[in-house]
Formats: sequence, structure tokens, C-alpha cells
Amino acid sequence: MKNEIHRHLDGEIPFDALPHEDRVVVDEWDRMVASFRQSAPEGGMPPWIEQGVMAEIATLPERGVLGRMLHWFVNPAPVRISPLAAGLVAASIVVAVLLPGTGVTPPDPGPVAGGAAVEVVYVQFLLEAPSASSVAVAGDFTDWEPSFTLDDLDGDGVWSGRIPVRPGVHGYMFVIDETEWMTDPNAGRYQDDGFGNRNAVLAVGTSG
Amino acid sequence: MMSTVERTDAQVVRDVLSGDRDAYRLLVRRYGDVLHGHALRMTGNADEAADLVQRAFVKGFKKLGSCREPDRVGAWLFRILANFCKDHARSPRRGDISMTKVAGALRSRSDPSVDAEGAEIRTRVWGALDALTPEQKEAFVLKHVEGRTYEEIAAVMDLSVASLKMRVHRAREALKGLLEEYA
Repeated sequence: MKNEIHRHLDGEIPFDALPHEDRVVVDEWDRMVASFRQSAPEGGMPPWIEQGVMAEIATLPERGVLGRMLHWFVNPAPVRISPLAAGLVAASIVVAVLLPGTGVTPPDPGPVAGGAAVEVVYVQFLLEAPSASSVAVAGDFTDWEPSFTLDDLDGDGVWSGRIPVRPGVHGYMFVIDETEWMTDPNAGRYQDDGFGNRNAVLAVGTSG
Repeated sequence: MMSTVERTDAQVVRDVLSGDRDAYRLLVRRYGDVLHGHALRMTGNADEAADLVQRAFVKGFKKLGSCREPDRVGAWLFRILANFCKDHARSPRRGDISMTKVAGALRSRSDPSVDAEGAEIRTRVWGALDALTPEQKEAFVLKHVEGRTYEEIAAVMDLSVASLKMRVHRAREALKGLLEEYA
């Protein structure tokens, strides 16, 4: 299918601007799409689903104050703060998240200068993916191999893990179920990867 | 006193998180039809669609505290449901349930005067759609069957418009190839 046809189907080029042979293809495509739409399953949600949902959540345990606090720490909710306060909060988060590595071998220690190991800091990665079976992190610090997997030990759909990363600015993505690459929705910065996707950007400072 | 129907999504989310579980019913009613329609189109099976929608709403309730934009909780619930649908499509237990069967069922339910050729075309195109990857199928259904804009889909699926367009383009190419094979 020609790029011009895709652009027309995307609403970027009017039908009249297409040559005759492309219009024929578009007409065929429109007929097929119309066939999809006419035969697509329709129907509102049956009322018993609402009853089922409400009955099921009624059986769930109450979330107490302690539980809500714990939940907030694991999944902090956004709060409205001034730009100055936002800067201070961001600085606090960086300090809290970037901890010096201890006792864990970095993924790729690289060259060792003067007998001193290359410094890494441990970065906490967090992703909410309720239906994922596995979540891994791939970035330039792993040669874009999804070699670090996150854990969801309590099965609540929040995947997390601490990964050793060298100081510097890095791009990364999450890999869901070993196949689906996903941009971190909660990253503070993003960069275009040159192929139409966005990588999340992570800035890691030295711990010293 | 504000009636329940006037409550915004963000207010409902806050009420639910404060312990008013019954308020969650409002979200189920507001977004049930949209979620159910998408699940039906992705699975082609009414029972499985209902199961996925119920699971998505229950998961949404459990995880409501992590919804970072309560005023867009509908899109957040849709994303949970969409992930369940893709998992369902990847699931080996899915067996022989396919859109081909849906199309067949639709044909038998439809007006008897409908021509057999049209029904055959529908069977063929839904069968081809079922052969796409779950991501391609989702992109195609959202764009061409549900008629959403790229911007709407990108916002709901948390993808860039450029990535989404690429996915839709690949879905079109794959679908065209499959339909040519079947022709």
C-alpha cells in the first residue's frame, strides 16, 4: 500500500489529490472498512456485569489507614505544588531514589581504571501494568536488551525493581511480556528515538 | 446537596478512595458500554467480553489509588481493559474462538434477505483481523472500526501519535496481505 494511500486514510491528503489507480485502492479499502463496521459486534453492557462487579468488590477487605498510607508510598498520588516546591520535591526524589550500589555486581562493569570499580547507582523503576505477565527494563545501559526484569511479588499489578546504572543521561523503555515496548508514562523527560517512538530519559548523578 | 449524577469523575474517585464503595457503581455505568463494546470487538465472544470487562472494573477498583489523573479515570479503566483484551488474544486457551465465528453468528442473526456474498466477505475480513497481532488488531479496531482519532487513541493507549500511525499502517498492510491471500 502506497504511502500516499496511508496518508489519505489518515486524513492528511484529500481523495481528489490521489491518482486514479490509488483511488481504486482507496475505494476497495473503504468498502472493506464499511463491511467491518456494519458487522462489528455491538451492544451495551449487560446489567448483570455491574451487579457482578459490585458484588465482587463488596467481598474485598476494607483498606485501613495503614493500608492507604502504605499504598501511597508505593503509588504516590500527584499533588499540586508550586514550581519552586516542585523543584525541591524533584531534588528530594532524586536523592531518595539514587542510592550507592552495594554488594551487587553491575551489569557491565566496563574498563577498570587504576583498580577502582566503575561506580554505579541503583535506580528504582516502577510501572503499573495490571495485566502484564512480565516487565523488563531495556536502555542504553543494557545495550537495549531487556535484561533486567521487575518484580510484582504481591500481585497488585505494580512492578518494581532496583537496577544498577552508571552516572549519565540514559534512554530506556519497558518491555511488557517480552514483546511490547512501552515508554515509561511517568518519566519526567523524553527523547525521540529517531524511529517515531519516544524513549524515557533518566539522568543519573554520581553518589559521591 | 449535589446529586450523584452530577459528580465528576475526579469526585467519584475521591469518594471511592474515601470509603464510599457504592460510588464506584457510577464509574461502571459511565464507562461500561464503551469498555464492553471494545471487549466484544476484540474478543468476538460475548461471554469472554463480559468476563474481561468485569475483571477490568474489579482491577480498576483495587488499583484506583494509583490512577494519577482521576478526571481521566475512564481512559485509565479503558487502558486496563485493553491490556486484558490483548492478553486474551495472546492466551493459548483461547482455542478456536475467533472472529470468523462471530461473523458467522452475525450472518445467521442478520436479515435473511442479506446476500450470501456480503456475509462471506464479512466472515473473511473478520477472520483476517483475527490473524493480526493483538497490538495491530487493537490499533485497527480503535481507528477504523470504532472510528476514533489518532489523538484520542494515543491519549488512551499512552502512545505517541507517530508510533500509533506506524502500528495502524502495519495493520493495514498485514490485513491487505491476508485478504489478498484469501481472495
